[in-house]
Amino acid sequence: MSGARAILRVDGVSKRFGGVVALDNVSLEVEDGGIYGLIGPNGSGKTTLFNCITGVYKPDKGRVFFDGRDITGLQPHVIARLGVARTWQKVRPFRNIKVIDAVIAGGLLKTSSISEAGKIAEETLELVGVAREEWGKLGSEISLMEHKLVDLARAIATKPRLLLLDEIAAGLRPHEQERLAEVIRRVWRERGLTIIVVEHVMKFVMSLSRKIFVLHEGRLIAEGTPEEIASNPKVIEAYLGIKPA
Amino acid sequence: MELFNREILLALAIFEILVLGLGFALSGNSYLMLLAAQVLLFAVFVATWNIIGGLTGQLDLASSAYMALGGITTSLLWMRLGVPPLLGVFAGGAVAMGLAVLIGLPTFRFGVKEVWYALMTASLVVILNNLFRYTMGPWDFYLPSKWGLIYLRPRTYFELFLIIDVVLVIVILVNVYISNSKIGYYLRSIREDELASESIGIDTRSYKLRALAIYSFITGAAGFLQIVIYSSFSYRLFDTSLAISIAIMGIIGGLGSISGSIASAVIFRTLGEYLRSSLGGVFPGLDLLLYGIMLIIVGVLKPEGLAGLFNQVRRWLGK
Amino acid sequence: MTPLDLLVAVVQQVVDGVFLGLFYAIVASGLALIFGVMDIINFAHGDLIMISAYFTWLLSMNLNLDPLLSMLLTLPILFLIGLGIQKGLINPVLGKEPLIQIAVTVGLGFVLQNIALGYFKAEPKGYPAPLFSGGFNLGPFVIYESKLVSAMVSLAVLILLSRFLAKTKLGLAMRAVTDDRASAMLMGINVGRVYLLTFAIGMVLIGVAAGLWMEMGQVTPYLGTSFSLVSWVAVALAGLGSIQGLIISAIIIGVAQSLGSLISPSIQMAVVYLIFFFILWFKPRGLFARR
Repeated sequence: MSGARAILRVDGVSKRFGGVVALDNVSLEVEDGGIYGLIGPNGSGKTTLFNCITGVYKPDKGRVFFDGRDITGLQPHVIARLGVARTWQKVRPFRNIKVIDAVIAGGLLKTSSISEAGKIAEETLELVGVAREEWGKLGSEISLMEHKLVDLARAIATKPRLLLLDEIAAGLRPHEQERLAEVIRRVWRERGLTIIVVEHVMKFVMSLSRKIFVLHEGRLIAEGTPEEIASNPKVIEAYLGIKPA
Repeated sequence: MELFNREILLALAIFEILVLGLGFALSGNSYLMLLAAQVLLFAVFVATWNIIGGLTGQLDLASSAYMALGGITTSLLWMRLGVPPLLGVFAGGAVAMGLAVLIGLPTFRFGVKEVWYALMTASLVVILNNLFRYTMGPWDFYLPSKWGLIYLRPRTYFELFLIIDVVLVIVILVNVYISNSKIGYYLRSIREDELASESIGIDTRSYKLRALAIYSFITGAAGFLQIVIYSSFSYRLFDTSLAISIAIMGIIGGLGSISGSIASAVIFRTLGEYLRSSLGGVFPGLDLLLYGIMLIIVGVLKPEGLAGLFNQVRRWLGK
Repeated sequence: MTPLDLLVAVVQQVVDGVFLGLFYAIVASGLALIFGVMDIINFAHGDLIMISAYFTWLLSMNLNLDPLLSMLLTLPILFLIGLGIQKGLINPVLGKEPLIQIAVTVGLGFVLQNIALGYFKAEPKGYPAPLFSGGFNLGPFVIYESKLVSAMVSLAVLILLSRFLAKTKLGLAMRAVTDDRASAMLMGINVGRVYLLTFAIGMVLIGVAAGLWMEMGQVTPYLGTSFSLVSWVAVALAGLGSIQGLIISAIIIGVAQSLGSLISPSIQMAVVYLIFFFILWFKPRGLFARR
């Protein structure tokens, strides 16, 4: 772990919407190659931070560095091309296209050949565990769990170095969450990505992450290993009202 | 999946046989032959609209503006400068494309809601209608009495029908090519979800502009053929109801489906013509009313359109 | 034309433009309300005004009433119709893709336009003897009674609307839903009912605009398109913040259009369109997806 370079560095990022401060001088560093957690109560700014990193929002203050390169305020597709992929909190349904076509669109980032992208799509779908029978189905015909897996596959098909998962476990039943956690671990092992998981559900994040960042009301209030975070009084106070599983 | 696989070529061949058969059957009756040519041209515009509407999911309501702009450019180049329309249509397409892209550039920026494009395009037709009426006057301008392939003005309606058929085949092939290539995958992804598309590295604005350029160029070029059918043009060619009708056919057919677009265009345009000729005196706009009602029904009950219906029947038969 | 004549002509147009702008504000208010609260793109807005105008015209002709009076009669009926449209047409498409939403309202507008065309034909229809048909001179300027009255009525209704949104329970609920639907639901607001009433109130505003239009002029089936354009441009310019903002934007549009008519009557709408185009290029904040 020592000597690993920071693949992502967020430096003093602030963002406000009208009178509401969503992010207040957030700074953090993520080292290459691990799984990290970003937690915090509702409205603490987790998704806003993701959006600032991936170019959907432009921070009012501060910079974002990916692999040493300043990506602050770049267009989302440019950032994606540099190697940052993400999934979305509200599952983005691709109702009228087939599962395989959605993932092929992801694969086309790195190749212009449809057949190449097709192979990448098949590999990725197998990696995340979507059954072959599902590949030809339309988005409107698959279950929520399947959607999440396909979303994940689509993001991985772009061959990213950093993967941001935004509340990917939301809406899933406990056994589905376990399956998803397994998939994420497998993806991490086989692809050597750095993954940041934003989550609400504590158990999910705790079991996966090597290090966790805690946001509260737009500020970073703690960072550390799962054990350190679980016993941190500031964190417990921020979470009063939310049950750690 | 190869670009042009055997299934598609077979379907195209069968379609062509039917079209040509129809053409030969009607070649004796000039009213019906002209009607067939008009319906087929309408299908050309709907199938072209499929590129921006069906594949990319942008509700473009300006096809009659591009058609008129391109067609009038081509006509004026012929009438004022003697440029034969066979060449002039490319200029017509370019002018239409230029205006379309000018509108698309600010409107397709990431984050701008889709309604503004629909609004800009719908208003464009009205504005150009007023502008042309003001600058050109309310009169009809007739095409010169010169015939020949080089003027894209054949002596018989049957030959016109064939020319339009050739254009339709080209449009079908363009659609198939786009659909099965990288740009097609990207456009469909944009249609389904722009935000997610940006996240997988698609420059949504650039691809939307590409689709717009192709669609507006072809529409502008083919616009001259509409003027040939009328033998004249006026400010009335900038027709909002026509633009809306084309979009409606594209949606009823099923977004992204070439066969659906052509089927709905042919069926409803023919039906509409029947309504117009039989009841048009009593109730003008009855055909348009029918299109509007169909759109509401499809939108509320079956957004996948005719293509969705085909697929359901096919799956049901497969059982 | 002397410079003084030109100045008089320009000021005349500015005055007329302000009256027109106030009228446009009420035209746009129904759209702003529905779009703001329900986040639905109602492409049929202008055509709903057109059909209401025909409705007012029918009542006026048959009951021999001034359009402003028959307008009052139409309002309760339009309220009910609004409830019906919301339940039958809008609700079913609320969850669907924006393209389908817009398409269904385009279809609705198209249907209304062609019903009007088929039933009333294309010739303009007007009430031959409205109450406010004259004008009077104010120095070198001409003030048309109908334009003045419609501007004043619009202003009055808009002030009422503003009060309603600020003070009543329903009004506050509507504003809460506009700002943040999810939080509004969490606060216990019955969003479904808010939607229903919003659309119905929107229809009433549409009815007022229609009645005022009939007092000032005539209706044709194609009126809807210009009204829709003006409304959307006003909303784009003003954003969804406040009624005051909407009034100001509408007045800007009215004045620009009137000044445009000095160049040529046919250029008027093109001026409005150009404003829209420039907004798109330079101030697209009102046009970006919320949040």
